[in-house]
This record gives sequence, C-alpha cells and structure tokens, in this order.
Amino acid sequence: METFVQLVVNGLGKGAVFALLALGFVVIFKATEVVNFAHGSLVLFGGYLVVATRETLGWAGAVVVGIVGAGLLALLVERLLLSRSKLADPFSLALLTIGVDVIITEEIVRRLGVSLPFIGDAWDAQPIQAGGVTLFRTHLVALVVATVLITLFFIAFRYSNWGIAMRAQAENKEAAALVGIRSARVTATAWLVAGLLAGVAVLFIATQDFSGAGLSRGTHSIALAAFPAAILGGLDSTAGAIVGGIVVGLVDALSTHYVSFAFSKSAVFLVMLLVLVIRPSGLFGTRETTRV
Amino acid sequence: MKRILALACASALVLAGCGTKGGGSDSGGEGAGGVQTDVGVTDSEITLGVMTDQTGPFKNLSTGITHGNELWVKDVNAAGGICDRQLKLRIVDHGYKADTAKTLYPQIEPNVLGLVQLVGSPVTAALSGDLESDEMTTTPASWSSELLSNPYLMVVGTTYDVEMIDGLSYLQEEGMISDGDTVGHIYIDGEYGANGLRGARYYAEQHDLKLREVKITSSDNDLTNVVTGLRGQGVKAILLTTTPTQTGSVAAANKALGLNVPILGNNPTFDPLLHQSPAANALDKLYVVASSVPFSADIDKAREVARKYEEAGFTEPPNAGVPYGYAVAEVWGTVLRKACENKDLTRAGVHKALQQTTSAETGDLVAELDFSQPGAPATRQVYVAQPDASVEGGMKYVKPLFESEDAKGYKAPHQQ
Repeated sequence: METFVQLVVNGLGKGAVFALLALGFVVIFKATEVVNFAHGSLVLFGGYLVVATRETLGWAGAVVVGIVGAGLLALLVERLLLSRSKLADPFSLALLTIGVDVIITEEIVRRLGVSLPFIGDAWDAQPIQAGGVTLFRTHLVALVVATVLITLFFIAFRYSNWGIAMRAQAENKEAAALVGIRSARVTATAWLVAGLLAGVAVLFIATQDFSGAGLSRGTHSIALAAFPAAILGGLDSTAGAIVGGIVVGLVDALSTHYVSFAFSKSAVFLVMLLVLVIRPSGLFGTRETTRV
Repeated sequence: MKRILALACASALVLAGCGTKGGGSDSGGEGAGGVQTDVGVTDSEITLGVMTDQTGPFKNLSTGITHGNELWVKDVNAAGGICDRQLKLRIVDHGYKADTAKTLYPQIEPNVLGLVQLVGSPVTAALSGDLESDEMTTTPASWSSELLSNPYLMVVGTTYDVEMIDGLSYLQEEGMISDGDTVGHIYIDGEYGANGLRGARYYAEQHDLKLREVKITSSDNDLTNVVTGLRGQGVKAILLTTTPTQTGSVAAANKALGLNVPILGNNPTFDPLLHQSPAANALDKLYVVASSVPFSADIDKAREVARKYEEAGFTEPPNAGVPYGYAVAEVWGTVLRKACENKDLTRAGVHKALQQTTSAETGDLVAELDFSQPGAPATRQVYVAQPDASVEGGMKYVKPLFESEDAKGYKAPHQQ
C-alpha cells in the first residue's frame, strides 16, 4: 500500500508538469489548428536562457529572462514564419514547426556542450516527508504553479476580450474575421502564451526530481512526451490538457512498478490509443460534426 | 545509343561508389627507416583514431579519456615520437549511437592505423565485424567480456561482470548484504548492462541472492518510480550498470524515499560532475568498482598525469577517464615500439606486435594486465572507491586493488 501511495504521489506531481506542457500545445491548436512540434525547442530555449544568465542575474532574474525569452521566441516564430504563410493549411505549418524545432534544438544542444545544468535551484532535491510518503518539492511547486496558471488561463479564456476572440476564431475563423476580430493578434498572443508556458515548464523539467537530468536533449524529448497528454485530453480542450497530463503521470508511475519499466513507455501510448478508439476527439475535445 | 551510353556511365559511377573499402595490409609499401607501412602511417606521422562520445550519455568520461590520450600524444611527440614519426589523433564524435558510428567509421577507417579509443558497448558491438575485417587493432573504452572473442580488441582493465562479482563480494565482506538477501539491479539494455548483469547473476547464484532486475535504456534518466518499486520489494542493495546521470537519479531517490541502501556501480556509473548536481548530498551510499585508478590516486604516475592535465589548461573537470586514457595510450606506445622494432607498422604488423606484448608498463595506472589467456579478462583485480567532493576527480579509494574468491572461479563467456 505504501508503494502504491508513493507511486500515485509521484505520478500526480509529474502529471502537473505534463499538464503545463500539454496546455502549450492546446493554446496554439485552439487558436490556429496548428500542432506546434516546436514546443520542445521552446522549452529548451527557455532553459538555456536561465543557464546563460544565471551567473550574472541570479537565479530569480534568470528565470524571468528564461520565461519571457521563450515567449518572445514563440512570438517571433509565429510572426516571421507562420504569419507569412496564411494560405498554407495547418498540416504544412505543423511540418514547418518540425523544421524550426530541429534548428533550435540542435543549436542549443551544441551550445550546452558537455554540461548538463540543473535549473530548479529553489526547489530541486529538497523532499518533504509526510506520514511515510515522500513529497518531492519540485512536484509540489509545479502543482501549485500549474493550478494558478491554468485557473488564470480559464478566467482569461472566459472573460477577457482575447479569450472571447480566441473562442470565436476557434469556432469559425472567417465569421470571426467578418465581425472584426483581428486574427493575427489572437494567433500571435496564443503563440506568446504557449512560449511563456514552455518557459515555466522547463524550470520543473530540468531537475533531479522530475527528469533526473539537467538541461539536455532529454529535456526536449520529455516536452514532446507531453504530446500524448494533449491528444488524450483533446487537442482543443484546456480541461483535457490537465486531465491528460495527470493520466500520463499516473499511468507512467503505476505501470513502471506493476507491469515493467519497459512497458511504462508504451503504456501511455496504449492508453492514448484506447481513448481515441472510444472518443476520437480525446476525452474533452470538441466532436466534429458535419452537416449533410 | 545515347541512352546506352548514359546507362553505361551511370553503371560505372555506381560501381565506383560501391567499391570495397581500403584497409588491411594489401596496399602496403616500405616507408622511412625501412619500415613497412600501409594505412594511417606516413614517413613523418602515425595517425590513430578516437571514436568517442562528446554529446551523449558518457560524454564526460569520454572527454576525460580523450584528454588522457592527448596528454600522452603530447608527451610522446615532445620526446621525438615513435619510429621517427610524430603521433596524431583523429577524433570523431558518435554520441554513443551505433548508427552514427556506422556512418563515421568508413570516413575515419582509411586514415588511421588503429583506434586508441572506441567508446561504448553498443558501438563496439556494431563495429566489431568491420574492425576484424580491417585488421584494426582497437582499444574499446568499454569493458564487456563479450568483446573478448574479437582478437583485434584489446580490453585494458577488467570486465563489467568481474567488477560486479568483486563489488558484491566487497559489500558482503563489509556486512552490507548477506546470503539470501533481495538485491535490485538496474541495468541498461545492451551489452554493457547485460555484462554487468551476468556478473550479478553469477554472484546471486553462488550466494542465493534474490535478484530484482530492471532493464532501462541509456536515455531513461528519472528512476524515482523504479526505486520506489525496489523499496516495496525490500531490497538490501541496488546494483547499477547505468550512466552517471542515472546513478544520480537512483542515489537521490534512494535518499529521498528513505531507502538508504548501499548502491554498487560499475566503473562508468560515476562522474565527478555528480558532485555539482542536486544529487550531490545523496552520494554517500555509492560504491564504484573499477580496475583503473581514480584521478587523484596516490600513485606517482597518477600524480604526474594530474599535474600535466592542469598544465594543459583543459576546462572540463577531470575524472577517472584521464589516467585511464593515458594508460591505454601507454599500452599503445609499447605495441607501436614493438611493431617498429619488427620494421612493420602495417595494421597486420601492429596486431602481431600486440600478440607479442604480454605486459605493458602503465606505471600502475591500471591493474597488472595479462593478455596471454584468450577470451579471459586481462585482470580480475579491482579497487572500490566512494565519491568524495574534496579530492580532485571526485573519488577516493575505500579498498585497494583486490580479487575476490568468487571472481577467481568465474568463467568469462569466451574464456577457453
């Protein structure tokens, strides 16, 4: 029982970070119907900025630079590349993001050289014992930050002008444009928000508690591992991103022990396939209906 | 007619591209000093290859080994070289990926006499056939006893299986485990992990240990859930045949989860950079087994190498790879000098010289080596070390070189 509880705690903690990552995919997909495969490189870029500026600015200052930098890079990618291909369909743009991803990732991995810097200074490897259960501080902080950010996102999405514009655009792009919604602004903001989320997520990923490794190519792979979380929850659903993240975290933790470590990697994808067979749009995704 | 001509041209081009590789001794000729030469040797230079990992999971250890090789080359060249020729290294990075190494090998092969460093069990396994057909004498920075079937591979030090047997016997001798205990073994899928596991299984059989095996890949860095599971199974020790990053994860989880059992690792499992990671204060339960000395060993030759490392101004923190890289190159020096005496610096000549070399002087940087028994590890002696941030290289001896009774009785897979 003790092992089961510990595994559930581990899984929930990791799930919070997967939810943050999945939300990054969802925000962009909701606004533009583009799957952003460059999300992993945005994560890596944010982390790299923290490493590069930590000595001069201190950790807190570097964290701000990292988050803002990742947001701005995402904005730049959208403004310079995607916004110029307005007529391209979302699949072509998704392929374009793969290209962007490769370029940014390879350059950062090259710059990192042999170093594997950990960047969760304020919370990493400081576990808390509570009644026979170990709570990893990184997981706890991630859970709080994810809850706050996701709540803020929900509020903005429901009540702010941007949120309403984005929902309108997601519903019907042409109709939204006809009523004066500036599509470019909505799209650019979505990319900026996704970039900021990537910058936040990396602070929990490149830690001993979460990934066991510092900033490296592995960080990028973990960011992409959140993709099943987004698909599972429904690519256009914010609530789905949260549930998807937690499901991925739990499935990973429990299958590692109760089946095998090797199986745990495919277990997440098996669950995703199972969900998609039953609900092709994911757990909370919008069902596509076609009028005949 | 034009079409036929075009087809003929295209066929010729394809055939030219598919031509057999260079190498072997069939292109030999006599060089300066009446010495026979073929690949990688000119009248003024001998080029040795280094296929290393500068970007993968063993990049720190590999960089240490490469710097050890470089220090030796510098020393030898300053003393006039070997056979009136200066030594040169040709270094390529395969990132611990066998497919990348397969692509790089044909590029480096026509230019080098042999490989003074080939990092990684999966890479060595992938290239083993090529090395044999090209008569490429190679020192793998990989210590699997499975490699000993290839006569062109010169494994300097003992092998992972023997390390594990000696290490387990140390834990038992120190009262950390007893016959009948449950022990976990986390190992990387592939020859490295399998060879460490082979040793653990042998020891478990001899001492009735219940072995809980967990197979991972080299890129699985978060092992918290695995350690949580091992805690649930009541393990008394955790054995590791993993990367240093994975060692950090296991050590951190071992402490955080309150398990606090001893952790025994094969020689590549430790990297001094772990002292700068968040796992630094969880390394007190880690024991590392190896047959080459740590960077800060209290041995004249090790001190000399350490001083030269400092003088060379390398920016990377040193590790046990540096003295090992130097020692391996010393063995190469002995072999090349022998080949020079034989007036044959061809690949075949180098291999012959290697077979004539029954022992090589490394100033005790590695345990005494005996290559005379085909298929058997050159030594079964190891030392046990523990992480210590206060010494350079990050490790201190806790037990000097020894060979356990269990290791003496162990038969390696290709031992005759």
